[in-house]
Amino acid sequence: MVLWKDLIRGLWAENPTFRLNIGLCPVLAVTTSAINGVSMGVATTFVLVCSSALISLLKRIIPDKVRIPAYIIVIATFVTIVDLVMHAYLPDLHSVLGLFIPLIVVNCIVLGRAEAFAAKNSVVRSAVDGLGMGLGFTWALTLLGSIREILGAGSFFGHALVAEGTTTLGIMSLPPGAFITLGILMAVMNMVSARQKRKVS
Amino acid sequence: MNESLRMVVVLAVIAMVSAGILSVVYGTTSVIIEENAARALESSVYDVLPQATKVDIIRRSADELGVDDPKEMREQEQRTTLIYQGINDQDQVIGYAFVGEANGYGGVVRILVGVDEATDEILNIKVLAHTETPGLGSRIEDESFRSRFVGKTVEDPIAVNQDIDNLSGATISARAVADAVRQGFVDTAAVYRGGE
Amino acid sequence: MSLFTILISALLVNNFVLVRFLGICPFMGVSKEVDSAIGMGLATTFVMVVTAAATWLIQWFILEPLGLPFLQNMAFILVIAAMVQLVELFLHKTSPALYRAMGIFLPLITTNCAILGFAIMGVQNSYSFIETVIFGLGAGLGFTLALVLMAGIREDLRFADIPKPLRGVGIAFILAGLLSLAFGGFAGLV
Repeated sequence: MVLWKDLIRGLWAENPTFRLNIGLCPVLAVTTSAINGVSMGVATTFVLVCSSALISLLKRIIPDKVRIPAYIIVIATFVTIVDLVMHAYLPDLHSVLGLFIPLIVVNCIVLGRAEAFAAKNSVVRSAVDGLGMGLGFTWALTLLGSIREILGAGSFFGHALVAEGTTTLGIMSLPPGAFITLGILMAVMNMVSARQKRKVS
Repeated sequence: MNESLRMVVVLAVIAMVSAGILSVVYGTTSVIIEENAARALESSVYDVLPQATKVDIIRRSADELGVDDPKEMREQEQRTTLIYQGINDQDQVIGYAFVGEANGYGGVVRILVGVDEATDEILNIKVLAHTETPGLGSRIEDESFRSRFVGKTVEDPIAVNQDIDNLSGATISARAVADAVRQGFVDTAAVYRGGE
Repeated sequence: MSLFTILISALLVNNFVLVRFLGICPFMGVSKEVDSAIGMGLATTFVMVVTAAATWLIQWFILEPLGLPFLQNMAFILVIAAMVQLVELFLHKTSPALYRAMGIFLPLITTNCAILGFAIMGVQNSYSFIETVIFGLGAGLGFTLALVLMAGIREDLRFADIPKPLRGVGIAFILAGLLSLAFGGFAGLV
């Protein structure tokens, strides 16, 4: 029951993207297509689960004063592993996500969960919390990526939805499209949660 | 144990373990990464030299210059052009492929050009990398635009609005492709025609 | 590439925040008032120039000669954290006024992905020492420019009647989109 709560918290109530508004750089940068969004989400989830679990395991060994550099080393190790493995086995995806793979290190979600949750809770709960947060991040990226791909390129996960040569909303694939789509999605999420609150009360 | 000594020891152990793990991962993946990079460019060469069954590098500039320093080598590689030789199943050289670069609207445009050995005409070109505007400049990747270069020789002007039809709404991108093709052609033709 | 081109490219054409999406968290977090936006921007620029020099030296004198490119990410993030600490100490000792103005922003800078991002990009582009420093200066000033523009608009926005769900981050993102569209006009400049 506790584990279930740890898992679903990241999906909605404390969704990193829509509710906490952290770790937004990759959300905007890599979501030109749905598949990019999913891949970035999965890579971040892997780092989140592994680093949360390991940091929770090491929480009694690491002295309080040097905990932040210690966490950063642990996180950077997993990020570099993801970076190298993707470069070797998924080179096309690696070249699209590019810079934003090494930048998972400074994604506030990862360090934030290490500090706020993993440093205080058991290994299993920390891993589940990381998984929940990662999945919450992944669905946000996938949603944004899908909307931008459908409107900007006229396709969904690479499958063309419109005839070749149809004029699509090219602006959606460009930086302004990312900002505006995320802004509108934030407003939609606020409306949904406001309605939820009204129902409860 | 002394408090500050413990801090140093813990941090050092974590850092060493992580460096150890990473060097193992790097050792296994770096081989694959290098193979992938070489294969990616090679398969592009087959795209622009359709008749080739084998590809050889006839001039790798950095080796020739004997540069050891990795940073300098990378700079040299960026400045000089690699030339590929397409060979058919009878071991005859049927064409050459080279990379040309020019500045487009959003950044550098990299083009791979395939040239026929016998006629010295362009067989096909391929856009390796670009950051042009999607929907406008990105049309340089379309077959209908790339085919405008087929049949050109090094004697042709290869310039937009002269012998290459413009791409409406994307003049700068189209001009970048023409520049990249012409510049690469001029630079390399002398090398592979001159002395092998 | 000439130094001027690198500067203009990082500052306007490929603006770190509005075109490359780096440093979005502080861009959204510290752009409510112009004064704090200027403070944050200048502190970040300062750290960027210092880390530019430090990361260049580490990359080409330690990591490359020893064949340790896979430690780049870890080395850079630790250097940035250390540089932020040093800058903080240095300002504290030498210029209390400047420290009061910038101090509260400094700890936030470590996790600004614009800094790690530009350090990695500088290496990927094989920039020389001077080029890396200029690149850092351009990136920092570009970040400051975006931050101050955004803060200016958001200050005026306090008197606007915004639909309730859009209030806060929602409208800020749409504004950023419009700014980004405007910066799109710089494309093709270099």
